[in-house]
Amino acid sequence: MSEEKNEYLKPLPDFRPECKPFWEGTKAHKLMLPKCKETGKVFFYPRAISPFPGSLNMDFDWVESTGKGKVWTFSVHYMGPTRAYKGETYVVALVELDDGVKMMSNIVGCDPETVTIGMEVEVVFEDATDEVTFAKFKPVQ
Amino acid sequence: MGTHIPSIEDTKELLKKNQIGIIGVGETDQGKIPGKSSFHFLSEASKLAIEDAGIQKSDVDGIITAFSLVEETFMHCTTFADYMGINPKYFESVAIGGATAVWMTAAAAMAINSGQAEVVLCVRGDNTLSGISSTGMIALIREMCHGEFEFPFGLTTPGGYALMANRYLYETKGKREHLHSVAVTMRQHAKLKENAMMKDDLTLDDIMATRLLASPLTKYDCSIVSDGGAAFIVTTNAKAKELGLKRDLIYLHGMGQGFSHQYLTSCENLEQIYGAVEKSGKKAFETAGMTNDNVDITFLYDCFTITTLLELEGLGIVPRGQAGAYALEGRLHKDADTPINTHGGLLSQAHLGAMHHVVEAVLQLRGDAGARQVKNPSVALVHGNGGIVSAHSTILLGNEPVS
Repeated sequence: MSEEKNEYLKPLPDFRPECKPFWEGTKAHKLMLPKCKETGKVFFYPRAISPFPGSLNMDFDWVESTGKGKVWTFSVHYMGPTRAYKGETYVVALVELDDGVKMMSNIVGCDPETVTIGMEVEVVFEDATDEVTFAKFKPVQ
Repeated sequence: MGTHIPSIEDTKELLKKNQIGIIGVGETDQGKIPGKSSFHFLSEASKLAIEDAGIQKSDVDGIITAFSLVEETFMHCTTFADYMGINPKYFESVAIGGATAVWMTAAAAMAINSGQAEVVLCVRGDNTLSGISSTGMIALIREMCHGEFEFPFGLTTPGGYALMANRYLYETKGKREHLHSVAVTMRQHAKLKENAMMKDDLTLDDIMATRLLASPLTKYDCSIVSDGGAAFIVTTNAKAKELGLKRDLIYLHGMGQGFSHQYLTSCENLEQIYGAVEKSGKKAFETAGMTNDNVDITFLYDCFTITTLLELEGLGIVPRGQAGAYALEGRLHKDADTPINTHGGLLSQAHLGAMHHVVEAVLQLRGDAGARQVKNPSVALVHGNGGIVSAHSTILLGNEPVS
């Protein structure tokens, strides 16, 4: 039995079936967002019913995001939620995508202490397991 | 026939007609108290509140409980009714996180107003510090955020509040000291509260010299975890008289809720949070026919220092963006112009949601707060916040009947 990757010990997502297209997207290194067919607007997080006022629409298109946005807020974490984070300093951020939605993620590829609100970032994909790829963000060079 | 649309005016009328209030309060020891279960603390706090009210256990005909973070139960209120040996006519579990305790008071009033019960025991207790396992704690952190789209990025509970704190400091051009000063004031208050868990000296310099957990928050910006219980009894003036009780009630004058989001991902901006806090306060004020000017003492949900600042501004006690400087000037201290959480709050007394906030409001309005007593308060505002500044509830309590 060959181990191609190191075992991933950090928390993995609690999957809801209605979010499958999102995770299929990240696996293919595409950031896919659900778009309400009634209002024509994208939203995040994915769910089975449109979150927009007045809409009970349950029918969506999935559209590819530009993958670009800005840090709306962030926090440098010096202590993680599980033992797997021991000794790690990492940035959790809410990224405001140019598509108009906010997404929680990590800012990677830079010194955590250099992250600022308003910083321009773009998506990068991190394969965690055979099943899960995370959309993370790095500063735009 | 069929033309009446229920409104706040009806609540106002009912509160006036029924004169509902808190007649007894009880608090157990708080801190690290191994060897007692969640239900042990619930019973002990209930006993203390029943004795404080001067009623019999058999007088209780309504039970409102919350939930346990340690001992998960499918039907918490009836599980406790069974344990306590009470057969209630009305039972309910309120489960809106930190907004729970405040809303228990309102829920009790609504049960009384609709004739479901006359003497309602509201109680919460838990052995959170001694009883929770490390996997239980991780489950709790996961529960505080979105399990699919937030938790996998390593968001911690302090981290969630830190995200809001950093945005707040950015928008208000504030500084870390603004947040930390709330913790300093809470510590000063806790020193005067008998059962407070944290009584060591704490200065701004101490906090500034402490390592960050999640920027810009240190451990001192986070509420403590504790074991303990607290309870209060809600009834009507007429029932209290019928039971021959001498003590006056602390009356409920108004109540309101406000919702912003559950997950931070869904929070568009700080204004959304302010709006939810404001909505809960506005409904309470409208029902009471009061404004901030009527409030003598304030209890704000201080699970993290940032929430206190957002609530001060959301409730309109301090203009937007100015609560940090206000806190730094020491104006939240019991001897200053806006006394907040004279019992030391969640940051330094104990963490049982807003149970202790409600209990302390009652003690202050009765004049029973000892060394913490502020001068002759007649109206208290109590606010609770569940989730990461998600769900808000506000009540107004007064030592004068509703007029």
